[in-house]
Amino acid sequence: MNIKIQDSTHSTRYIDIYITQRTFDASQLFIMLIFSFFKTLTDQVITVELKNDLSITGTLKSVDQFLNIRLDGISVEDPERHPHMLAVKNCFIRGSVVRYVRMAARSVDTTLLEDATRREAKEAKK
Amino acid sequence: MDDAANSGISEPLDLVKLSLGERVFIKLRGDRTVTGVLHAYDAHMNVVLSQVEETIHIVDVTEDGNPLPPRIEKRNLEMLFVRGDGVILISPTQQ
Amino acid sequence: MDSASPQPEEQAAAAGSPSEFLKNIVGKRVKVRIGSGVDYHGLLTCLDGYMNVALEETEEWSNGRKTAEYGDCFLRGNNVLYISVLEAL
Repeated sequence: MNIKIQDSTHSTRYIDIYITQRTFDASQLFIMLIFSFFKTLTDQVITVELKNDLSITGTLKSVDQFLNIRLDGISVEDPERHPHMLAVKNCFIRGSVVRYVRMAARSVDTTLLEDATRREAKEAKK
Repeated sequence: MDDAANSGISEPLDLVKLSLGERVFIKLRGDRTVTGVLHAYDAHMNVVLSQVEETIHIVDVTEDGNPLPPRIEKRNLEMLFVRGDGVILISPTQQ
Repeated sequence: MDSASPQPEEQAAAAGSPSEFLKNIVGKRVKVRIGSGVDYHGLLTCLDGYMNVALEETEEWSNGRKTAEYGDCFLRGNNVLYISVLEAL
């Protein structure tokens, strides 16, 4: 299977994935959807709320398949509570510590997203 | 719920699929619940919702460790991604 | 095994393996207990390999009190402690 991916430098490369009974799982396909969704939000301002209640707002620079997130030009919602974050200008957030990501409604095409979800759900079931 | 809707359910994820474009109620870890219109989900139960109302159930404790009556905090958000590992339950809302 | 004890004895005889048990209880009234100790009572629509569960006519029970009702509900498998049948197999 060839998967076309675009990395953070916007160059396109292809990764060959060798599929075996053990490594291939239909649900693996079904997690690419949200990854693709986040890629469409690149260069938009988003707020990432972490499981420790810290909320970081910044420009989404890149995301990977684990939903790790790189943010630029960041600010923290409650700087008095998190003074150590004041000097930080950009950051990498491990996907697993994220609780929510908030974004503007206008940056999301909901019809397109629902169609893509139905398509991926159908593919995963095969 | 009517049988016609349920006949399309062969695996639990189908229940979530049928809720696409509809308002859903989601119970999360950490005494949080959200309701919103479901636009996307995946096998991890990562979801994307719009017109979201989040409710946090808080039980404060007095200095001697006695719980005060529970209080709730609400927040409205226009578009929200919820990471799947926090999800406990998803249910289509009645209305 | 603690989780086996709440099940009535006749079910143990009816179901050989765990997966056979799960196959046999679809459509039955079940109790699903999750990690936080909350119980969900409802008709088991279906389940999958992750123990994700779909229930109908669900009641949420917490500390011996009914705390919510849901027409349909999806429970994420990682939270499930056990599934127990509330009627004869």
